[in-house]
Amino acid sequence: MTTSELTRPRAPERAPESKASRRRVMGAGKQMHAGPLTYVVLTVFAVGSLAPLVWTAIAASRTSQRLAEAPPPLWFGGNLFKNLETAWEQAGLGTAMLNTTLVAGTITVGTVLFSTLAGFAFAKLRFRFSSVLLLLTIGTMMIPPQLAVVPLYLWMSDLNWSNQLQTVILPTLVSAFGTFFMRQYLVQALPSELIEAARVDGASSVRIVWHVVFPAARPAMAVLGLLTFVMAWNDFLWPILALNQQNPTVQVALNALGTGYIPDQSVIMAGALLGTLPLLIAFLLFGKQIVGGIMQGAIKG
Amino acid sequence: MRARTRTARNTVVLAAVAALGAGLLAGCSEDPDDGTSNEGGGSTDGKITLTVGTFGVFGYKQAGLYDEYMKQNPDIVIKENVTTKTSVYWPKTLTRLQAGSGTDDIQAIEIGNVTEAVQTQGDKFVDLGKEVDKSQWLDWKNQQATTKDGKLIGLGTDIGPMAICYRKDLFEKAGLETDRTKLAEQWKGDWSKYVALGEEYMKKAPSGTKYVDSASSVYNAALGGATERYYDKDGNPIWDNSKGVKDAWDAAMSVATSDMSAKLKQFETPWDQGYAKGTFATVACPAWMIGYIQEKSGDAGKGKWDVAAAPTAANWGGAFIGVPTASKHQKEAVALAKWLTAPEQQAKVFAKQASFPSTPSAYPSLKPSPDTTAYFSDAPLTQIFSDSAKTIPVQHFGTKDQPIGTAIADIGIVQVEQKGKSPEEGWDAASKEIKDVLGQ
Amino acid sequence: MTSSKEALAHSAASAETAPGDEPGAVRGAQVRGTPPAATHSWRSRLYRWDMKASPYVFISPFFLIFGAFSLVPLLYTGWYSLHNVQLSDLDNQTWVGLDNYQNLLSSDFFWNSLWVTFTIGVIATVPQLLVAIGIAHLLNYRLRGSTVWRVIMLTPYATSVAAATLVFVLLFSWDGGMINWLLDFVGIDPVNWRESNWGSKFAVSTIVIWRWTGYNALIYLAAMQAIPADLYESASIDGANRWQQFVHVTIPQLRPTILFTAVVSTIGATQLFGEPLLFGGADGSKGGSEHQYQTLGLYMYDQGFMIGNLGKASAIAWSMFLILLIVAAINLLLTRRLRKTP
Repeated sequence: MTTSELTRPRAPERAPESKASRRRVMGAGKQMHAGPLTYVVLTVFAVGSLAPLVWTAIAASRTSQRLAEAPPPLWFGGNLFKNLETAWEQAGLGTAMLNTTLVAGTITVGTVLFSTLAGFAFAKLRFRFSSVLLLLTIGTMMIPPQLAVVPLYLWMSDLNWSNQLQTVILPTLVSAFGTFFMRQYLVQALPSELIEAARVDGASSVRIVWHVVFPAARPAMAVLGLLTFVMAWNDFLWPILALNQQNPTVQVALNALGTGYIPDQSVIMAGALLGTLPLLIAFLLFGKQIVGGIMQGAIKG
Repeated sequence: MRARTRTARNTVVLAAVAALGAGLLAGCSEDPDDGTSNEGGGSTDGKITLTVGTFGVFGYKQAGLYDEYMKQNPDIVIKENVTTKTSVYWPKTLTRLQAGSGTDDIQAIEIGNVTEAVQTQGDKFVDLGKEVDKSQWLDWKNQQATTKDGKLIGLGTDIGPMAICYRKDLFEKAGLETDRTKLAEQWKGDWSKYVALGEEYMKKAPSGTKYVDSASSVYNAALGGATERYYDKDGNPIWDNSKGVKDAWDAAMSVATSDMSAKLKQFETPWDQGYAKGTFATVACPAWMIGYIQEKSGDAGKGKWDVAAAPTAANWGGAFIGVPTASKHQKEAVALAKWLTAPEQQAKVFAKQASFPSTPSAYPSLKPSPDTTAYFSDAPLTQIFSDSAKTIPVQHFGTKDQPIGTAIADIGIVQVEQKGKSPEEGWDAASKEIKDVLGQ
Repeated sequence: MTSSKEALAHSAASAETAPGDEPGAVRGAQVRGTPPAATHSWRSRLYRWDMKASPYVFISPFFLIFGAFSLVPLLYTGWYSLHNVQLSDLDNQTWVGLDNYQNLLSSDFFWNSLWVTFTIGVIATVPQLLVAIGIAHLLNYRLRGSTVWRVIMLTPYATSVAAATLVFVLLFSWDGGMINWLLDFVGIDPVNWRESNWGSKFAVSTIVIWRWTGYNALIYLAAMQAIPADLYESASIDGANRWQQFVHVTIPQLRPTILFTAVVSTIGATQLFGEPLLFGGADGSKGGSEHQYQTLGLYMYDQGFMIGNLGKASAIAWSMFLILLIVAAINLLLTRRLRKTP
């Protein structure tokens, strides 16, 4: 059983999202139909999940004065677009979104690429100190980001990099979690025979990575990319120290919105809404893939 | 292999790699001297770019001063770098000053940080004393930015002369005096008289209203008029037996332990809501708070607010602008700083957002917007604030003024006011905090 | 042993197994993979070089960047923690040995922040994971629109710490906040969420719980779906009802996943920073007038960047690291034990 189970993580050519295989797992036995109570309870949680976001939109559609009055508003007012516009301008969200897309995009590409390479090496190649190095990699996951902040902060000043985007890109360009995650995936999903076959054909390591590893790793790369992008988009501690309002990421811009000369709550809420919107839209459009990705990542990772 | 035919995927990966490379290159190769970077001193088209680093809202841009200056000096381009929070702005500025790079050509300094700048960064700033006529500024303002060896590291921008803003309508309902001159007489000279009037107010207070917004506003106002703060003139901490601190603390405690406080934390949502709903009748208001009150009280407060002189002349807040020696265009930066802080320009900023000038010669010509005057029941704002400004005592600040103030207001006073601790417990908590700050 | 459990055990744990021990690893590639076209000696040399060097080339970007931007700073932080480093006087770093650490050990604020980090960690993690299991269980039924439910549960995950906290600050506002308004309906007096000791911890935890429950639910759901059907079949043959099946089949099968999520959440909780900072409003770095929600991360920020004592801040950062190492060691022991029990 063990061996058959281990080979089950299919060969790379067979796309893992193949309906047949997923249905087989999902349909495994106890798929009992949900009773009405299940729907009721789920609805309660769904409301809890969405209510704060919906209320953000409600608050963003009101005025600061209205938000100050006793029963909080429960339905939309007419100020949404005005507040969105103010927030957009005040916080420089245009620049912020562009910056964040660039930052998160670069970090995502870097993390996925480097994690796949390192993950592959750890999963399938033999080299000296590999287990020590892997242990080290895993160990580094526990290093709190706060630990590097003080020296980085001082170096960035010395390098005259303050307020420039590479300051927030470089430190997060690789990820120990990502490396471990890809390693765990590739150990199972990449049949060693494929590599051996390629070796026998005289393929170089670069060719193998390109033609064997990347195709096999694609699903995991997608999941990792997604997780990394969300994380990078929402990163907070380091960007607020490293960047300023002239060249902010979305989170830096949001942090500034809350503390203007005369902070306006409805505008702050509009900013929070705008800053979240791109990811929300992505979730609406690709919800299925995202959910599938996270779940797959959970099993394989 | 099948994979070989999957050109689409390859393209994606290739594009990704290219994007990464491009991103890195773009990031790393960015010329620190071009106009977009934060570096002090690039030039575009033969023009000199000067950057001005500020926190919060200085009002230069809002009052159109940059545009005006650029028109007068066609070879200068001005860029403002705003960091909203002082608490983020100052650590950054400190590190850059010491690194000797990355600073702006002009750097703003908050009053709570100016002593730290004077004592630890004195050699990182250009001595402006020789560049300007110092007598233009209030003497105490200059002194705060002067190093031991007589260097002036920053030019005064605004100051925060204190008054009391009060709700005439609520005072009337509570059966108190509503005339601003007579009111000022009633509490003149002592903040405890102002607190005592609160007892009167509460006897007949209109329902749902309190006398004052918070105990810490009373503390800040009272301390702002004291000759002794947390440090003596040699820079030694004396916070634990300073008379000014003790008096201000006692005044704040009599507020915190009574029912006259609305127990709100300043500059936070409930405080704003307090303005909107009119839940407190008075607030100690430095000049820069005028605009805030007008905005937050909204139409409902129009004509109901009035302004009276504070018990003692006091100052709360204000700032300086200095030119770091790291600036590559010191001469031009000094000229700009001089111009920005000249009386005429300070008057323009006052007209825009009521930041009060630190140059007395501007006072006669100050004109608040008619809108604001009407909002505050036609109170002679300029008169009240300039009277206060001229008699503010010289105060000595120290390197850790800001964290000490935070410890007393946000730890000590809040514990008593919002959590029902005794004044002794509150003071002990604040002391413990201060000792931690000072490493005592 | 089932494969799913095996797989999850990997994710839950550590690298006890070297890659070479992995079933199916390319063992002795040098031996078996000798290219047939070994006639050109330069080519075979190149090939051999490729074989030897490529693993290091593949892992080097990670180690180089990680080394430069995490490891070296980590060591520097350690170095700073043994010095008196003031933000206003960076060039004068005087050696003070372990003074900063001694200072921490004798500081009530440090122990308080440790306690706060622990309590908020527990309040945020335990209910979060329990609810997540519950939701996962419900989602595991055959549902109408199952994807829609899953996406809805995951939406909070898309919200940033900054955005979420700004909203929750308003919801938890003492005066006129939605939550106190709702409490008023059921006759409960308004709670001063920010200043109350447990109230503030609860409020900060709520933000964490809200953002992460759905995400964890999906991870549990994935693990549940990988549980082999025959386990449930035999359980139901033995007469176990749904609840008993849940307790006796689902939960034990989820154990490695639960451990994994617990570890990840613990790491997250130890580093908690943005939520309490923004929850505190204008002077968030104190974490309330009694430091009632000043976590370790916030304490470090306060000491380093507000008070300006970078040496002490570095000592706090290193203490956090040491604490996590201890947590990791405990986790490793637990994992070992879990693996031994069938």
